Amino acid sequence: MEYIGEHLGIGKVGNVFVILSFVLALLASISYFFAAKDNDDSASWKRIGRIAFRLHGLSVMGIVSTLFIMLMNHYFEYEYVWHHSNKEMPMRYILSCFWEGQEGSFLLWTFWHVVLGLMLQRTAIKWEAPVMAVISLVQVFLASMLLGITIADYHLGSNPFTVLLRDHPDFANIPLFSSPNYIDKIDGRGLNPLLQNYWMTIHPPTLFLGFALTVVPFAYAIAGLWKKNFTEWLKPALPWTYAGVTVLGVGILMGGAWAYEALSFGGFWAWDPVENASLVPWLTLVGAAHLMLINRNKGQSLFTAFFLAILTFILILYSTYLTRSGILGETSVHSFPTAGMAGQLLVYLFCFLIIGILLLVINWKHFPKQDTEEGLWSREFWMFVGAIVLLVSSFQIIFYTSMPVWNKIFGMNKAPLKEVVTFYNNWQLPFAFVVTLLIAVGQYFKYKNTDIKFFLKNISLSFFLSLGLTIIMIFLLNYKNRYYSILLFSSIFAAVANADYMFRVLRGKIKKAGASIAHIGFALVLLGALISTSKKDVISQNTSGKSVESLGKSFSNNDNILLTQGDTLKMGKYLVTYKGKRQEGINIYFDVDYFSKDETGKLVKEFSLAPLVQTNPRMGNVAEPDTRHFLTYDVYTHVTFADLETLLEKKQQTSDEYAPAKNFTLKKGDSIFSSNAIIIFDSLSVNIDKRKYHLSENDIAVEANFQVLDISKKYEANPVYVIRNNSIQPIESRVDQLGLKFMFWQINPEDGKIQISLQEKKSNVRDFIVMQAMVFPYINILWIGCIIMAIGTILAILERIRRSS
Amino acid sequence: MKKVHILGIILIAVAIGAIFTTLNNTSTYADFTEAAKNPGSEFHVVGKLNKEKEAVYEPKVDANLFTFYMIDNKGVESKVILHKNKPQDFKSSEQIVLIGQMQGQEFHASDILMKCPSKYNDGKPEETASK
Repeated sequence: MEYIGEHLGIGKVGNVFVILSFVLALLASISYFFAAKDNDDSASWKRIGRIAFRLHGLSVMGIVSTLFIMLMNHYFEYEYVWHHSNKEMPMRYILSCFWEGQEGSFLLWTFWHVVLGLMLQRTAIKWEAPVMAVISLVQVFLASMLLGITIADYHLGSNPFTVLLRDHPDFANIPLFSSPNYIDKIDGRGLNPLLQNYWMTIHPPTLFLGFALTVVPFAYAIAGLWKKNFTEWLKPALPWTYAGVTVLGVGILMGGAWAYEALSFGGFWAWDPVENASLVPWLTLVGAAHLMLINRNKGQSLFTAFFLAILTFILILYSTYLTRSGILGETSVHSFPTAGMAGQLLVYLFCFLIIGILLLVINWKHFPKQDTEEGLWSREFWMFVGAIVLLVSSFQIIFYTSMPVWNKIFGMNKAPLKEVVTFYNNWQLPFAFVVTLLIAVGQYFKYKNTDIKFFLKNISLSFFLSLGLTIIMIFLLNYKNRYYSILLFSSIFAAVANADYMFRVLRGKIKKAGASIAHIGFALVLLGALISTSKKDVISQNTSGKSVESLGKSFSNNDNILLTQGDTLKMGKYLVTYKGKRQEGINIYFDVDYFSKDETGKLVKEFSLAPLVQTNPRMGNVAEPDTRHFLTYDVYTHVTFADLETLLEKKQQTSDEYAPAKNFTLKKGDSIFSSNAIIIFDSLSVNIDKRKYHLSENDIAVEANFQVLDISKKYEANPVYVIRNNSIQPIESRVDQLGLKFMFWQINPEDGKIQISLQEKKSNVRDFIVMQAMVFPYINILWIGCIIMAIGTILAILERIRRSS
Repeated sequence: MKKVHILGIILIAVAIGAIFTTLNNTSTYADFTEAAKNPGSEFHVVGKLNKEKEAVYEPKVDANLFTFYMIDNKGVESKVILHKNKPQDFKSSEQIVLIGQMQGQEFHASDILMKCPSKYNDGKPEETASK
């Protein structure tokens, strides 16, 4: 069949770019490889390598632009466009659509490598050939991820330019496609609602730039081993490594900010496998950066510096494997679905792992021998210890995160822990303590050896100041947990000692204070994380209509509060009222007002929050929190349950109709709930005035007595059970003030249980939501810390660059 | 012995500790039958919602209590008492993972994970209401 209006040309252009980018990366890596070998032709090989890499860069830009044009013009005949976008979606999310899928995010990563490669071509000078050979080889693998060609039944890569009707035969059977002009009718599936958030437009590119930056120290380290030039690579690689620390660190915290703003698990960090997979390489990168620094200054710990620089990049590849091979399965909410690339990713991983290990082993005996041991009171020794602690810390995280991998390899069937957050927190707390302590004292140690009296004199001010601050904080926060208190101290100590160092020792010379500022920032991040998580207060805990039956204590989870429209309930220090819901596009907002009482007891409105549910029939509805930010704390709320259906039909309800009856079987003393009252079954009475009900003496009649309690008043209801001429003819009883109607249907003479039905007027059924609310104290310390850390590392990088030029 | 060696030994000790606590602390995936044999211990049970039977959530009575019936992967059905709010998209769930323990005839779950089919898998393209 001929289809009308398909844009097949642009896809072909895209595919040409895909193939070109692969072939040119291959050419670049081969040319640079020969250029790196010292022979007569190396200059001309280098020239070819340069040109090939630049053209490779152009091809990557070509793929990126093609995909953008397709997304912007809604070419839904292409699977990627159809899968990740739709017509309704606002244009500002076009970037999120771009990198929502596997292919797009690989493209983003490739793109950053191109940018870095082009910069290295200019700056690496004598290291250009070996470094670019490594980076080009990395690009060969990344470009192959987009190829989407089948060689001998093996599918290589996943192509972003596949056409629904040509490359996905399943679609051809759908009636829609039997029409030649299907293009006019088709719409995309749209973007996952979780990703329709502004953080999702800046978090992925930042994170991927961070990932990409780890290739630079890796490439330099490999180049150093390859060229048997073990120390000279450190100097040019250092600024890149610190840039990686900054960008990856900020990227990870941006992910935290997104989770805090847009996801409803209640926090900024959940130790989710995907989060861990990016945190672990950051930790090893920080370790690598510090060891490289020791080496630049003192020539110690060279092997470990190599090891960590290589390990970091391998871990990046490993996290790519974890998150994209589908192996995490149910353990993570935001892993990618399988795209059949697991094998390819493993080849990629093992290829670089083997290159790294081989080069390290071959060169083992060539490493310069350390003739002296580091002194116990030297800075280099404690920096080394710090790096090792980071390594162990990351090992613990990655070992547990890899549980699905171990399950697969060893045929086990271990499920993830229930209290996974506590598990990680308990493990990581001692590491965090040691690291912050080292950060505090580190700069007061001198290289080689430190005069211990001088050291104690210098550090004592910060020590006692921090101790005082900690005691005040413990008192203010009412801290009970002694382990948290210890970490509280060490984090404060780290921040204070570095601030002191900056002002007293460096005399406030900002240029040189990069390291101190970054360390203050890091200490504040930890401090903010510690306080906000450990003192997180779920204020929605006291539910209004708590069940009368006591539940199994071990399960008691009453984090949810029920808010009925119009009622005012106490929640934490606030009084809250659920005002109602409103719909704006696909979002349903639930307006909740927060009040406080003034001296006279009058309610004063403090603020309103409108947590929302994003409706998405195709991908499921998603609750999005709403948070009120104060300087010293945040009030974070999200809706855990709401009756979305009533919203849409609510208007048609007439007030006088009764809703369908609900049946109950009760014994004396039981209570049931209507939407506006508690109903208690009090007693049965046989001695009733039959004339009042127009009954004859032969009729059997039993009256049930109910107490009906609403918030302020007490009512009674007395439905009557009647057997007249062998048939049951019950007499209803109404409580008109509350719009309730009772019917009494049956008595069981053996156990005295009765069956009744209860009807409520539809106007009674007030809207309600089930909500969670929590207070995160001092979470701003964390965000401020992040910014300070970024500023500090940038200053340090600038200083390095200035010194080297 | 060099300091580096002492450090190495500590490092290995901590690493082994990490491995063991990880392996010992984890519960295992199981079915209802196995969970019933070991009442009181915690399991992850994977299964499907029985859509024929009633799922009761009365937030006005208790916002943190939700009961339904689930059929595990072996085909065994059990009543489930979830001590949490009813998940918003419960009806559309394709697969459920419960975390909890058997008590008598009921499975008491403290947490639930759901896999919704439409979230990631390929749906089919739909016609837009282009009027």
